[in-house]
Formats: sequence, C-alpha cells, structure tokens
Amino acid sequence: MRFADKAGMAWSSLLRRKLRTMLTVLGVMIGVASIVTMMGLAEGLNRQSLEMIEQFGGLRTIEVREGSGNAAGTTGGTADPTQYKLSDSTMQTILQMEHVESVYPTLEFKAIIQSGPYVLDIFGGQAMPLEVLKDMKWEFAEGGWPEEGDDLQFVFGNLVIEDFADARGNVIYWNTGKVVNVDMMKSKMFTILDTDAYEAAKSNNNQGASTDTAASSTDTRAAEAGADASGDTKAAAPPKKYTIPTAGVLAGELDDYNEYSWYTYCDMDALIKTYKKAFKGKAIPGQPVRKNGKPYNELFYSKLNVIVDEIENVADLQKEIGDMGYQTASNSEWIAQQREQSRSQQAMLGGIGAVSLLVAAIGIANTMMMSIYERTKEIGVMKVIGCGLKDIQQLFLIEAGMIGFAGGLTGLALSLLVCFIINRVTGSTTAVIPYWMYGTSIVFAILVSMLAGFAPSRRAMSLSALEAIRSN
Amino acid sequence: MDETVISGRKIYKIFKLGEERVRALNGVSLDVKKGEFVAIVGTSGSGKSTLLNMLAGLDRPTKGEVIIGGNHIEKMSEDQLVRFRREHVGFIFQAYDLLPQLDAIENVALPLSFRGMGKKERTAQAVKLLKQVGLEKYMKHRPTEMSGGQQQRVGIARALVVKPEIIFADEPTGNLDTKTTIEVLHMLQEVVHGKGNTLVMVTHDRHLAGYADRRIHIVDGEVVLED
Repeated sequence: MRFADKAGMAWSSLLRRKLRTMLTVLGVMIGVASIVTMMGLAEGLNRQSLEMIEQFGGLRTIEVREGSGNAAGTTGGTADPTQYKLSDSTMQTILQMEHVESVYPTLEFKAIIQSGPYVLDIFGGQAMPLEVLKDMKWEFAEGGWPEEGDDLQFVFGNLVIEDFADARGNVIYWNTGKVVNVDMMKSKMFTILDTDAYEAAKSNNNQGASTDTAASSTDTRAAEAGADASGDTKAAAPPKKYTIPTAGVLAGELDDYNEYSWYTYCDMDALIKTYKKAFKGKAIPGQPVRKNGKPYNELFYSKLNVIVDEIENVADLQKEIGDMGYQTASNSEWIAQQREQSRSQQAMLGGIGAVSLLVAAIGIANTMMMSIYERTKEIGVMKVIGCGLKDIQQLFLIEAGMIGFAGGLTGLALSLLVCFIINRVTGSTTAVIPYWMYGTSIVFAILVSMLAGFAPSRRAMSLSALEAIRSN
Repeated sequence: MDETVISGRKIYKIFKLGEERVRALNGVSLDVKKGEFVAIVGTSGSGKSTLLNMLAGLDRPTKGEVIIGGNHIEKMSEDQLVRFRREHVGFIFQAYDLLPQLDAIENVALPLSFRGMGKKERTAQAVKLLKQVGLEKYMKHRPTEMSGGQQQRVGIARALVVKPEIIFADEPTGNLDTKTTIEVLHMLQEVVHGKGNTLVMVTHDRHLAGYADRRIHIVDGEVVLED
C-alpha cells in the first residue's frame, strides 16, 4: 500500500470524528505549548543574565595583566625582568594567536582631583587609544570624546561623582547619600598627577601637625597652594597641579550601573605626552625602571584586553595565555556557571511542561484505543479483503502522527503568542523561543504521539480478522 | 471447465468452549470447479460459515487440507494468508461492510490500493466495475447515502475488481428485501455464468440456494447432501 493512500485514509478517519480529533489535538497543543513556553522562559532568563555579564565587561573579553612567569620561564638564569610585562610585542604575539579577534591596551593611571573642599582619588583610571574608546559607542550625558591630538582631557563615568571625598578621605555620597555640589564639566578642578608626592606631602604634614584639625587645615592649604606647604624636609616637595579639562560625562542616572560607570577615561597618547612633560627624565608613574633607576625606552601597559571570536573559545584561549606566564581574567567561569544554571533551569521548567505533554500522550493512546474498538469491524473487513498487517499498523501510527503534527504546530503558535504577551506585559524580553525550537517542538510532538499510538496500533494489527468481521 | 479450484480434504475444526470441545467441522471433503456457482446450505450453527472461513483462507483447519489453486491454506502464516486473499480472493459480506468515510469509487478501489496500485489506475477500474453493476449515478455517494441493494452492488464490485479466482459470499442477501435479493442473486449468477468466475455462497435459505448450480448441505459439521 502506498504511503499517500495510507495518509489519505488516516486523514479521512480523523475527519470522521472531528470533535474527538480536535479534543485530542487540543491536549497535544497544550502540552507542547507548556513545554515550549517554559523553555522559552528559561531561554529568556538565560539571555538576560548573559546580557548582565556583558554589562560587567563583556562575554568575549580576556583581561591580560603582567605575570610573574612560571617555572619554565625562570630557568634561564639571567631572566629578562620585562619578560612577562605587557609591551607592544606582547600585544603582537597575542594578536597572532588563534581565535583572537582584536587586542587593545590599557594604561591605568592615578590622579587626585580637587574641587573646592572635595577630593577625588582616581586610581585605575583607564587610558586607552582614542579609537578604541570611540569604538565603545558609549553614550554621553554631556560632552564627548576629545579629538586626536588634543591635550589631555578626562571623560568620567556617570557614577564617578559619587567618589568625591572630604579632606579627611570620607566619601561624601556613602556617608550622606548626597551627591557633592560639583559640576564635572564646569566646576574648577585641579589635578595632581604625581600622586606619590601628594601622599608623601600629606603624611609629612600629618606628622608635623599636632592635632587633627590642624592637619586637615594644613592639608587643605597644601592642596590649594602646593608651594605653601613649607615642610621641614625637602624630600616631600609639594606636587604640581594641573588644570585638565573634562571632555565629557558618560550617560546614566545615579542608580544606573554598567561597565564604565565607575571609571575615568582618557586618550593614552595625550596622557603620555602630558606625563613626559611632567616627569622629564624620570620614569612616568606606574612604569618599571631599570636597576640603575633609568626608565625603559618602551612603554609597558597595565593590561591588554583580548577580544575572542566566540564565547566558546574564551576559556581555552585564557588558559593558553595564562600558560605563557601572564595573569588572565575573564567572565568565562561565570558564564559557564551561568550556563549550567540555565541548563538546569531549562530542564526544570521543561520538565513541568513535559507533564502536560505526558497527559496529552495518554489522551492520544486513549483516543486511538477508542477508535480501534469502534472500528474493529472495519479493520477486520480491511484485513479480509487483503490489507497487509504492517499497513494496518502504519495507518494508526500515521493517524497518531497527524494528531501530533497538528498539536505541535498549534502548540507552537500558542506558545509564541503567550511569549509575546509575557514580553508585552513585562516590557522586556523575558521569554525567547529560539528558532531551533520551532522544528524540534513539532518533531517532538509527532514522535511522542506516535509512541503513544504504538501500542494501540499493535493491537489493531493483531486483531483477528475473523473475530473482527463477526463483531457488530 | 472441469478444473478444480478449491479442494477440501477431511477438514476438521474443533473449538474449545471451556472444558468442552466442539466439532464445528467434522471431516468435510468437497471440491469446487472453476466457473461454478456453489451454495453451502445449512442452518445456524451447522458449521457452514466455519467451512467458508476455511475455504477462503480466513482461518486454518484443526486437521485436514484446504487447497486453493494449488496453495495449501492450512500451512500459511497470518501474513501469507493476507497476501493470498489479496491476490486470489474476493469477498461479499452480509452487511456489505463498506468503509463509511469512503465513496463508492474509493470503496471499490480499496482492495487495489492494498496492492499498491496508483490512484488513477485503480479509480478507472473501479468506475468500470461500478458501471457494470449499474451504479453510474452513485459513484460519488457514500454508503450512508445508498440503499442496501445499492450498497451490496458496491460490495460485489469491490469483490470483482481484484479479478479474483474465487469469490466468497456470506449470506449476501441476508439484509435485503425480497425484490432486491432477487436482483442481487441474478447479478451473482451473471457474474458466474457471464464472466466465468467461481462463486461460493453461504446461505441458510434453501430457496436462495436454488439460484446456485450446485448445493452442498451441511448439518452438524458434516456434508449430508450434494445436489
């Protein structure tokens, strides 16, 4: 018997009992919809958490810092002290590695900014190539990035303003919950680049002063007019102050947090130019020195940000770079943990949905059984006039498969609708049905239905033709 | 024309009813020749239907031989029996037993579809046979839209469409009124005498058996008379 004929017969016997067929399909539809919707919810949650990781500094980024080397690296005896530092050649080496999309350097800098009575201690300021910064496509609340070749200008994250402290070092925002009265763009701000000298001057003054209040007043004076702090010792010369303009403040309210919020940025070239002027003949802050105290000719970066082509390759590449002797950090473990969590979440939610599909499967088995009892005579006649046993079994399996297909298709449509409504109501993408689930859910529904129809179909096949034609 | 199509040799069929053994057939032997219209006549419970089932390859005898066209029915498996029926046998049922969801053409073409014949070809053959039984106007009708006589004519067409070596009919007129009964019996006679088919009909009615060429009377599982 041809497949098309069998399918046609199965179809017409389904049409004969429209209401019953519809109810059975409805069962499968609800079963499929509940599984797919639950999986969609799990997928949505997974994506949301991955987005969160993205905000915390990227899913495909490995942060490389200078290392202390490993056993293999130190056997050389006369080890180069700069071997595990991050130079341009390190950057080139990493760029040549497989799965590396791009690498960009960061030079971390320190600075003290004073504005009125407030002090902002910047450590871990991020100096990067200007084009890298511009590539971030961050939004500004005010201003924008400086232009190539401009003198040094700062760009502040939206939460940097919360870091302002009073002269004693108490951070205002954390103590009072109020933001200091400083306009990052317009207020007069003095910047001290030589933070070591600043610290030295401060501790020197503290030693010299008898009381706390005195210290603080001296401190303020020292800060406002460096030369005024005429200490007893010449060692702690007051640091020079600069007026460095603010190029912009990045967008965000005081409770918006993302990867740039707490950081101060500037163009690396501009910073180095300013440093070289300020620290003539000396090593600029943060750079290593030779044994004789002279600076190296090349520049060493604080960290390299390595962008990997695929999330899946992050962990392997991180290990590879780590084995070269550098310190590495990435979100890969977090991501792995997150994935594990979302997998179990998906399994749990999918399992809840699966219960209703199981109920639907029992419904199919019941419907098929009923149908066979009802059509015993008919099956008998078909056998008598020469319908093969396999064909009879397949007729019922196809019937079950058709119920599964209809239920799968409508169930998928229903779950798409439900997800759409959920997303509408929550106002975010809480539930996402990935495209692969479209096909899978329908195939799955067909398979489950055919499995449920298997036992009844066996029964139909093994019905005795003689018994069957006798029954009425 | 003297070729033997069906040959039954000492057929026994014993049913177990609890502890009791019932001999439905008790050593029946018979021959049916090609082109013959044979009636198996007996009262209810005489074993006539059981005999028909044996001869048609629907059931296997407990003992004895059934040879149809050279094939030993009693040795066949269930699968082989189905194939045998598909290739060699046509059936006419008392209650017509048409498939309710199919129209007349589809019902007649059904046995051909079991053989894997394409739709176009089998529809053409079904149409031809429906014309022969005089149902030109009812080709697209479903069984529920036809009278008993019309349904049985569809049943006859369905039996003939496979060009069977033998046709079996189990009380083919049992559900029909007298007038239609005679019409159907005339049609069966025509099928045998006009086309040279072999027909074995089971009936309890001696009068109806009169339409056959030969009658085999069965009482309590034994052949008592042939005339």
